[in-house]
Amino acid sequence: MSDRRIGVFICHCGGNISDYVDVEKVKEEVAKEDGVVVAETPMFACSDASQQQMIDAIKEQNLDGLVVASCSPKLHLMTFRATAERAGLNPYRYVQVNLREQDSWAHRDDMKAATDKGIRLVKAGVARASLSDPLKQLRIETKPGVLVIGAGVAGLRAALALSDMGLAVTLIEKEKEVGGWTAGLGETFPNDRPGSELVSKLEKDVRSRDNITLFTECELVEKSGSIGDFNLKLQQSNGDTISINVGAIVVATGFDNYKPKEDEYGNGLDGVITLPEFKKMVDESTGPLVYKGKRVKTIAYIYCVGSRQAESELHPEPNTYCSRYCCSSTVHTAILANNLDPELNQYHLFRDMRTYGKYELLYEKAGRKGSVFVRFEENDPPTVEKQGKDLVVTTVDRLTGGDKIAIGADLVVLVTGMVPRENPKLVDVLKLPLGRDGFFNEIHPKLRPVETVIDGVFIVGVAQGPKSIAESVASALDGVAKSGALLLKGYVDLEPFIAVVDNAKCTWCGACAEACPYGAIEQVTLDGGKQVAQIVPSLCKGGGPCVPVCDQDAIEIKGYTNAQITATIDALIRKAM
Amino acid sequence: MNYDVLIVGAGIAGMESALTLGDMGYKVLLVEKEPSVGGKMILLSKVFPTLDCASCISTPKMAATAHHPNVTIRNYSEVEEIERQPDGEFRVKLKVKSTFVDQAACTGCSECEHACTVAIADEFNFDLTARRAAYIAFPQAVPKKAVIERHGTSPCSFTCPAGIKAHGYVSLIRSGKFDEAHDLIMQVAPIPASLGRTCFAPCEGECSRGKLEGPVPIRLLKRFAADHYYEDHDKPSYGPPEKKSDKKVAIVGSGPAGLTAAYHLAQNGYQVTIFEAADKPGGMLRLSIPAYRLPKDVLDRDITNITSLGVEIKTGHRIDSLSELKKDFDAVFAGCGAMQDIKMKLEGSELDGVEGALTFLMKVNSGEKIDLSGKTVMVVGGGNVAIDSARVAVRLGAKKVIIQYRRSRAEMPALDAEIQDAIDEGVEIQYLKTPVRFLGQGGKLDTVESVTMKLGEPDDSGRRRPVPIEGSESKMHVDLCAVAIGQRPDLSSFAEKDKVSLTRYNTFEVDSTTLETNIAGVFAGGDVVSGPASVVEAINAGMHAAEYMRRYLEGEEYPGKALEKPLPVVSADDVIKRQKQHHELQPVKGKHLPVSQRLGNFNEVEQPLTEEEARYSGSRCLDCGGCSQCGECIKACPAGAISMDMRDRVEDDHASTVILATGFELFDAKLKETYGYGRYPNVITAMQMDRILAPTRPYNNALRPSDGKRPDNIAYVLCTGSRDHTVNNPLCSRVCCMYSIKQSQLIMGALPMADITIYYMDIRAFGKGYEEFFKQAHDMGVYFVKGRVSEIDEKDDGNLVVTYEDIEGGGGRKQAEHDLVVLSVGLLPNTSALGLFKGDRLEVDPYSYIQEVDEDIDPGRTSIPGVFAAGSVSAIRDIPDTILHSGAAAAQAAAYIESKKRSSK
Repeated sequence: MSDRRIGVFICHCGGNISDYVDVEKVKEEVAKEDGVVVAETPMFACSDASQQQMIDAIKEQNLDGLVVASCSPKLHLMTFRATAERAGLNPYRYVQVNLREQDSWAHRDDMKAATDKGIRLVKAGVARASLSDPLKQLRIETKPGVLVIGAGVAGLRAALALSDMGLAVTLIEKEKEVGGWTAGLGETFPNDRPGSELVSKLEKDVRSRDNITLFTECELVEKSGSIGDFNLKLQQSNGDTISINVGAIVVATGFDNYKPKEDEYGNGLDGVITLPEFKKMVDESTGPLVYKGKRVKTIAYIYCVGSRQAESELHPEPNTYCSRYCCSSTVHTAILANNLDPELNQYHLFRDMRTYGKYELLYEKAGRKGSVFVRFEENDPPTVEKQGKDLVVTTVDRLTGGDKIAIGADLVVLVTGMVPRENPKLVDVLKLPLGRDGFFNEIHPKLRPVETVIDGVFIVGVAQGPKSIAESVASALDGVAKSGALLLKGYVDLEPFIAVVDNAKCTWCGACAEACPYGAIEQVTLDGGKQVAQIVPSLCKGGGPCVPVCDQDAIEIKGYTNAQITATIDALIRKAM
Repeated sequence: MNYDVLIVGAGIAGMESALTLGDMGYKVLLVEKEPSVGGKMILLSKVFPTLDCASCISTPKMAATAHHPNVTIRNYSEVEEIERQPDGEFRVKLKVKSTFVDQAACTGCSECEHACTVAIADEFNFDLTARRAAYIAFPQAVPKKAVIERHGTSPCSFTCPAGIKAHGYVSLIRSGKFDEAHDLIMQVAPIPASLGRTCFAPCEGECSRGKLEGPVPIRLLKRFAADHYYEDHDKPSYGPPEKKSDKKVAIVGSGPAGLTAAYHLAQNGYQVTIFEAADKPGGMLRLSIPAYRLPKDVLDRDITNITSLGVEIKTGHRIDSLSELKKDFDAVFAGCGAMQDIKMKLEGSELDGVEGALTFLMKVNSGEKIDLSGKTVMVVGGGNVAIDSARVAVRLGAKKVIIQYRRSRAEMPALDAEIQDAIDEGVEIQYLKTPVRFLGQGGKLDTVESVTMKLGEPDDSGRRRPVPIEGSESKMHVDLCAVAIGQRPDLSSFAEKDKVSLTRYNTFEVDSTTLETNIAGVFAGGDVVSGPASVVEAINAGMHAAEYMRRYLEGEEYPGKALEKPLPVVSADDVIKRQKQHHELQPVKGKHLPVSQRLGNFNEVEQPLTEEEARYSGSRCLDCGGCSQCGECIKACPAGAISMDMRDRVEDDHASTVILATGFELFDAKLKETYGYGRYPNVITAMQMDRILAPTRPYNNALRPSDGKRPDNIAYVLCTGSRDHTVNNPLCSRVCCMYSIKQSQLIMGALPMADITIYYMDIRAFGKGYEEFFKQAHDMGVYFVKGRVSEIDEKDDGNLVVTYEDIEGGGGRKQAEHDLVVLSVGLLPNTSALGLFKGDRLEVDPYSYIQEVDEDIDPGRTSIPGVFAAGSVSAIRDIPDTILHSGAAAAQAAAYIESKKRSSK
């Protein structure tokens, strides 16, 4: 005999359920179940009146379990958990049975069978509720501070925004100077503002804030703790270490420029340079471009160098991705070069011109200013060679039906892409996964682009993937927003459905720790010296891969215990009546 | 209410900002103009490059937004004005649109949708299919609550003097709900069959379809509903009401006003007695209107609608004192009509053979045998009574029937169709002529002397006043002259005995609200108050009086609150603009009995609509008001949540900061005329294709619209409306390449045999994982052709010939045939937020995107302090960039609030 006191409410849903399921019959059968002390059939369980009826029942009948058989839990799980809570019943002793989407709507043509199935579904819910325990959300106090790693344009801007919100910021930079690549840039696209100016403005602001601590030549070397409460160790170039305690980490470690391989598009030949090198030349010029003492009259750009690569002998591990910024940056730089020397001949050998969105205007402008665009196919790339003293770029003009054209160029600019910054130490400390492109991987590229599987660690700027300056900054601010959402409240509540280990049964074989993708299982030694598995609650996501691998049955998930699952299945396969 | 943040637009950008700020602890007001949050993303099939189901990843965000304790959603609402106050706070004026569904009571069960009789192009399926006027936006809507789309009152219903829901019964009839149509009419008018034959149908004059091919035959549809019901029911299905009152009401006159008043009062349980002076009930309907227009058995059946309620009709019972009557009854209604002919004050008017037209009609209609064989009959006047008299005379055998009317055809008040019928039947109409003298022999009319008129200056009625032309007199032999120059009530005995107040037009003087006369408890309505008017106006008076009599009898606050006003009328022009998809539908030609079969009998002339004609005619309705007010949803709603009385309300709120997240609009593909969108059914937009591929898709498979064939050779035309100066949008829309590639991959799953060609300029696969996704499509066999499409032409079989520039193949002009063309339409800014700010100027760029004043390092910041932009409203963004940008806007808003707090300390 169960000593539980379960209340069951079987919803008509105004006919949505009761037109196809005999709810009175369901009630009659379920009321016979062990432990069921209240069974009702409200017209709309979700209505205020029905919720009040439940609250009264919970209080008057002293219920210790509540089952509502209605619609999908997606719709009303939270509704009825809140109802239970208002009545003083632990919300995790509430079980929702989906009698609508999973029964009445699916079996409109067979009321008898639908009723039969409904009885089993509700009995299964009762079985689970009968074995429910009161659970408590895990509340973690958060620390109102953030570590920002990397003081490029993204990191600097993130630090400022965090500081604006009243969060203490520790900003660390591996290099001597802040500002990253942007600091070295002249006019940037699309707004023609010098990168150096952007950075100096941000740096000045950062240095003036009381709640931002900036360490240059400093790296993160150790991390422990979890979301909301990380203990970190930073190391400076002189070997000094600093311990800090923060609630979140924003990773803004940026990128490196692709370095063309020996001989790739004539790399190594005199007059063949990369986009960053060319950009620097343009930034530093005040009149017509001069290369090694000679005026540059003709430039050939070769796009997608280091991007959109196919596997080949030269690129056994190709960068298959598009570097996103290079097309726009190149046409912008071509406009600047044209401004310096309107006589300049510029030939752009490109694959697809990816001047997306408003950057299209730059492409148009470059064209109007005389830049010539010639498309090439991936499998028929241009060649660069030295003919005597001259650099000659040969390609196929597809527009004229495949004529070969040769461009005698004073300068060949290899439009190199962005590559992930090699940072094995940091990757190891943060346990951040890398994507197949080598950049840090977000939890979901669409909807959660700055969040990672490590709760409380955010990836922003180009560390996550190629971006323009404005895009990196937007990404940085999103990381700030997510940090704020996490920390400004002062605590974080986690669902209590986490694994729990029965120390008596556990023999520490390590299988569970191996199965856990979140590193939430540690090996600990009990007072008596016994080695057992221990769950780190803030890391456990309740996913459950640890449960089936335990051959001692020593581990289970709260709220979905082995006993509950078994009882649920038993109820489902029992005869309904 | 005071909020920290107002967010305009609850698409993915608005929701992301709202959730982030809500999590930070700020109070957020999120305003969405549609019934559901979710914006455009929720409508997509899957998203690139992960091919996640858009619903599956949107719905948790939508639910989280709805359940967030710090986020207040105002869906189906619009921000009307935002004003920055001197203290930097924003005052926000919000219009909360009426849903006509109690949102707290609605459970989202969809019963109203199933019951609704109005189909509207479904904007959530980009017009591929229809939804109902009562609808839940889409299956995953949050909140999942119904709303009823009402633009206002449809002109037909609005113009009906009795407020009969004309649009309602039209939409019921086309849905095959004939009995329901009858019942809806009966909510107002208990004599639907008579009204369906005799009404002057002002509704048809206002019908928006009348501005196109011709109005919906609304009156004939009413007749259809009534006749159809009567065919199955020889008497009403109801009896006297169960709830009985001991109060007694007397009604004087059994015309339309009296019958209607009796009906409504009896429904309320009162004991109603009608006193009728004539031998049979019906008033003018029986006495004046000839049987060929309103057969007597039809009228009899109509009257059973009233008598079945227990109303007693005492015929042959003339009342000459209302105050006497009032002594025996708790209330009295006088609806005794305008039954007295107005006489011509001419020489010879007293002659035998000169008589009032009404008197003539009454004699005929009460069965008096009159033979006019070989006689010449003249009718004087131009109203319906004149026409009726003339046509009756024809049927009684008159050799010659002449109507003399002193104005021209244009001024003639009789219904055009009636005039035409009279002419068809051989009646001669002499316009601009009127008798001046009747000459007789032995006291009997022999000759009428008439004069010719000309039209002078307009008179009080606005019609040009006829002036006799001197010396134009002429004479003709006439045996009978029926004078139809007007009628008036005969209230002399009431004036004398009851001292009841009359107007100078010899009608009752009544309170204009309650229709009560100067004698307490005695009400009056119909022609006795208005002077000669129409059946439908009399019905309105009867119903109106019944309501105030009820209040009077119940001792309720009297007169109490005014009767509910309908929503304002919608304009026909707006309707035609909105109903851009209407087809040309010609009206059904009215059928009349052939003239040869009309003479010598009183058989009904106008023939009924067949069921097929009725449903077709109903389907021509443009659904001007949206909802037709047919009332089916009200009956169907198990929660009793629907109320047509709701009205928009204005809410005033305050917010410390504003985020604009109104997103984008799709390029209207019709503007690219050479592509034939809107003309060729198999040219669709990519948004439509996304719907076709979505899990909540409108059809069960990927089909082409013209014939439902499974397409096997599909073309995508990229840059439709983007990178194109000819449509004033030189910008790239960023997402079209990718969504087209995504759709290609999905189509290859749905239609494995289909060939897919993508005509492109540059494939802009620039985001994380995009290039790989492009490569994947390429490897799956999608055929990429570099070159812009110049035009698309349709072949007879519905296939399309695409003309394009073949850049890779040498730059020539080429053509290819496809069986479905998908236009990858570009995105444009939604500019609806730009005009909201009062007193401050929101800077925009040359393409109407909100200008970010420091885009490089201050994303989202606009020209107005405290106002931020999130998502595509400041530049087209794909979903990941929108998420980043919305997070950035949230961070900016939070920083702004905090810095304001610090500076105020």
